[in-house]
Amino acid sequence: MGSSIFFKEFMVENKGRFHRYLNRVGWMYIVPALVMYCAFMLYPILSSLVLVTQKWRGFSKQFVGFGNFVRMSGDKIFWEALGHNFLFMAVQIPLMIMLALMLAVILNQGIKKFRGFFRVVYFLPCVTSLVAYSVLFRILLQTNGMLNNLLKDLHIILEPIGWLNNGFWAKITIIMALTWRWTGYNMVFFLVGLQNIDTEIYEAAEVDGASRMRQFFLITLPLLLPVILFSAVTSTNGTMQLFDEPNILTWEGGPSNATMTVALYIYRQAFVLNSDTGYAAALSYVMVFIAAILAFIQIRLMGGKDNERR
Amino acid sequence: MSVVRKTSLSSILIDIILVIGAFISIFPFFWMIVGMTLNPNDVVRGVLIPGKEFVLNWEKVNKTYTVFTFFLNSTIIAVSTVVFGLAVNSLAAFGFEKYKSKIRDQIFNILLVSMIIPQMAIVIPLFRQFAFFKLLDTHAAIIIPSVMSVFIVFFLRQNFKMFPTEIMEAARVDGAGELGIFLRIVVPSMKATFASASIYIFLAQWNAYLWPLMTILSDAKKTLPIAMSSMMRAYTIEYGALMIVVCISTFPILALFLAMQRQFVAGLLGSVK
Repeated sequence: MGSSIFFKEFMVENKGRFHRYLNRVGWMYIVPALVMYCAFMLYPILSSLVLVTQKWRGFSKQFVGFGNFVRMSGDKIFWEALGHNFLFMAVQIPLMIMLALMLAVILNQGIKKFRGFFRVVYFLPCVTSLVAYSVLFRILLQTNGMLNNLLKDLHIILEPIGWLNNGFWAKITIIMALTWRWTGYNMVFFLVGLQNIDTEIYEAAEVDGASRMRQFFLITLPLLLPVILFSAVTSTNGTMQLFDEPNILTWEGGPSNATMTVALYIYRQAFVLNSDTGYAAALSYVMVFIAAILAFIQIRLMGGKDNERR
Repeated sequence: MSVVRKTSLSSILIDIILVIGAFISIFPFFWMIVGMTLNPNDVVRGVLIPGKEFVLNWEKVNKTYTVFTFFLNSTIIAVSTVVFGLAVNSLAAFGFEKYKSKIRDQIFNILLVSMIIPQMAIVIPLFRQFAFFKLLDTHAAIIIPSVMSVFIVFFLRQNFKMFPTEIMEAARVDGAGELGIFLRIVVPSMKATFASASIYIFLAQWNAYLWPLMTILSDAKKTLPIAMSSMMRAYTIEYGALMIVVCISTFPILALFLAMQRQFVAGLLGSVK
């Protein structure tokens, strides 16, 4: 009680001092986070600038200057891995977004009963851990596994498909798995977006005699574009960092590097193949560079949309 | 007449799509439960009728692997990350949002920009750092670098925007200290936000694979994802036993999701508004 009287006097007499006090509190609040950020984010990324110029073999190092980048330009597996990342982005993300969009529209307008039930069910896959679902899909897709047996029993295929040991099918496997896990997740975004669209717009379109298809392409899609863009951006970032699935589901980027991704290749360079931390660090920097370019494009895309809305 | 038929036909089609989609979504969950009761061969073949080998699988799991330890490790690591993560990140978010200054806003922008850096680019030098301090193969090695999360700071800051500053001023006039304002007024009134952030942190850590894979070597320290991946590495894979570990890693999260759907989705959707 005494302190509150003291406080009022303090406020009147020392406005500037109180302001400085609040500023100090502000610093004190962010300092723990800032220290951790510097120790486990900023310092590692800056310290690996030195690594980039070195070649490592176990515990011995050697200065190679730009040697790692020269090596990279001729590294076939690296370029293939990068290609796979972009392939997964180009095929899986549009596929998943279309599926998610379709499910969201159906749940929003197509049915009245069980809406909540389906929403929960579609969301479930993204609750599983990346490792758990990779393990499950790896068992499911064995050559003598359940999916092949089912397809054979239904007479869809005669010979078992090499989901995990044929380069082409292994890529399909990764795409299927990613789609399974993330479609419902993105659908929830779209549902939220759809619910924000005023139903009166549709009623007006109905009066004007616009078909359901036209309504979708002329009303739903444009209004949902920011949300779609957002989920495309999130998915692009995720796909750029793809690691767990090619490491476990198709086993170490196999068969013969057919599903190798950049992140997995970096990991293997640093810890599995020849413990070359220097080369792995150089590859990491290229990955940061690509991520930065993608982010720049994304910001332009998002920013462009914002301007349009204004 | 024909119009009515057409709509009912398309609505049947819609129902079929929905049901097939639901089946594909749910099936793996059903299968992992059945798989626990089967011998390895039947798991791979795709037998869907529960077998009688659950007890045998359970014994295998506990003889060869210390599955309870894995569960405990995962829980300890995830819970400590939530506790420290909430403390560090919420204070920072509150500091950034309610004690504004130019320099701190610029620092926040730098933090946001660094969100684009892929995890893979950080873990390699980070690994050397932890090796230098002889912290590899400890739980601390997994917890410490995941405590501060730019995303969580961002998420919490977005939510703190909704907390009226007038209340803080009123509390100051009443003689409340700054930390008291945060702990006694802000935190209790934003429980849902904190719940969402907790779920997000817990989930990310419970499912973490890359960094634990690099740092954890001994069996006694392994988390569930690492345990699963090393079981897959075995010469003869015990699929039935593996399914038990898959279930143990999946169902706590599933229960958490079903119990707290709202906060769960809010946490995952983050700051899309």
